[in-house]
Amino acid sequence: MEKQALDGGINYLEAFDELQQIVQDIEEGTIGVDELSVKVKRASELIRICKSKLTDTEKDIETILKEMEEE
Amino acid sequence: MSEERKTYTLMQLTSSIARMFDKYYNQSYWVKAEMHKLNLTTKGHCYPELLQKENGNIVVQMRATIWKTQFEAIKKNFEQTVKEPIKDGLTLLFLVKVTYHPLYGIGLNILDIDPNFSLGELQKERQETLLKLKAKGLLNKNQMLNIAKLPKTLAIISVASSKGLSDFLTVLANNSFGYKFHTKLFPAILDGDRAAQTILNALAQIEKHRQVFDAVVIVRGGGGEIGLTCYNNYELCAAIAQFPLPILTGIGHSTNLTVTEMIAFANAITPTQLADYFLSNFRQFDLQINELKQAVIQQTQEILRKEKRELLIQSKFFRNGASKRFLIEKERLIQIRKNIKRITNLSLEDKKLALFRVTKETKKTVQYFNKLQLSLLENKQVELKNNTRRRLFESSEIINQIKINLFNRIQTTLSNQQMHLTQFEKNIQFINPENLFEKGYSITLFNGKVISKENQPNRGDTIITQGTLGNIESVVEKVDIIPSSL
Repeated sequence: MEKQALDGGINYLEAFDELQQIVQDIEEGTIGVDELSVKVKRASELIRICKSKLTDTEKDIETILKEMEEE
Repeated sequence: MSEERKTYTLMQLTSSIARMFDKYYNQSYWVKAEMHKLNLTTKGHCYPELLQKENGNIVVQMRATIWKTQFEAIKKNFEQTVKEPIKDGLTLLFLVKVTYHPLYGIGLNILDIDPNFSLGELQKERQETLLKLKAKGLLNKNQMLNIAKLPKTLAIISVASSKGLSDFLTVLANNSFGYKFHTKLFPAILDGDRAAQTILNALAQIEKHRQVFDAVVIVRGGGGEIGLTCYNNYELCAAIAQFPLPILTGIGHSTNLTVTEMIAFANAITPTQLADYFLSNFRQFDLQINELKQAVIQQTQEILRKEKRELLIQSKFFRNGASKRFLIEKERLIQIRKNIKRITNLSLEDKKLALFRVTKETKKTVQYFNKLQLSLLENKQVELKNNTRRRLFESSEIINQIKINLFNRIQTTLSNQQMHLTQFEKNIQFINPENLFEKGYSITLFNGKVISKENQPNRGDTIITQGTLGNIESVVEKVDIIPSSL
């Protein structure tokens, strides 16, 4: 079961999908040079979000697990 | 009269019984019985209680013995085959010999326990559980769940001191890619009698927080493979099958999968392998991201290269066109400049001529004008001379007149002053005391000063009288003062 990103922002799945879409758009060549810079920036951010899911320690989860300890 | 009855000693009786047992029960028999208690002693011998129940009631009971050497061999064989310990309450197939001891009575000596019987029993339990689960449609239920793309927060059911657990956690923590996981341990016992209940308790606790976790992991290992029949327990397996989160197992079991391992979402032989499963999930995703990243980079570079080429071509066109245009315009400009030069020169010549004429005219006019001015000036000069002479003459006349007047005035004034002076002289002579003295006047002084209200001599004072003869010193006889002078 997939959980919503606890901070209300985009979660890694949505980021991944959006990233795939951007790659497809670029490969089809439907993007002009101006829009390209915007898309590449966005892609970079999406990659960062996905990677951070792998390597980040999520503070909110830690807090919840700690609270469980006190039950 | 009482008959003679045959009497025996107890020993004779028991010997007889013993002989009978020897005769009729000198074989060993395979007997199925429930072993209520094993009663293993410190010396290594066992004194089990065997019984049989009907409808829950004990109807037969017998004590037995297993000697140390036998027990060691039986135990080894049993555990090797059945992978379960010999424990109280089991129904087993015993190879027994009936014994009769004069002191201890009838008993059984256990020579062997058939492991395959027990194995069969356990298999039965396993089969039963499988059938029950199948009947309820639960066999694949946990496996049909959707697991998160990146399971990152894991609930672990294990024993805190288990090597399996520490292997699992170490692999996750020491991965070389920097992947991070969250884990929480829910302790339970993982083999033997109490395993099923404690695991169920742990599952119940985890279910309360199922929003937090991505999966449940059950790991054990390093303690051998004894006592794992708990994983065929129906209650446990049903709970696992119906659990809302995927349950993954790594219980260090290499042969003959238990029901739990069969119905779990996924099963690994060792906890280390299970940890690798989670890592490889992350790694796959990581690689996919890398691929996409590469695609973006390459495609973007390609697009930019194309645009650059286009730009280059366009700029070449532009440069060539601009050059040509530039040359054309340059020519035009040169031509225009020539024209301007020529026209300007002509114009300049005209103007020069005109200027020359005008200058000549101006010169003439100026000369004439100068002459005029000069003659005017000369006239003025003469006029000025005459006027000045006249003025000078008039002035000297006036001055002379004034001189005469002044002289006359001075004369008059001088004689007046002279008269005054003479008069004054006469007056002064009059007043001079010496002159008065000659006339006979005198002045009287008291203390060197004239006599006044302030300077009054009295009788007897000396006064000095100055006159023409000189000074006369006198002494006052009488003073008559006029009242009006006081």
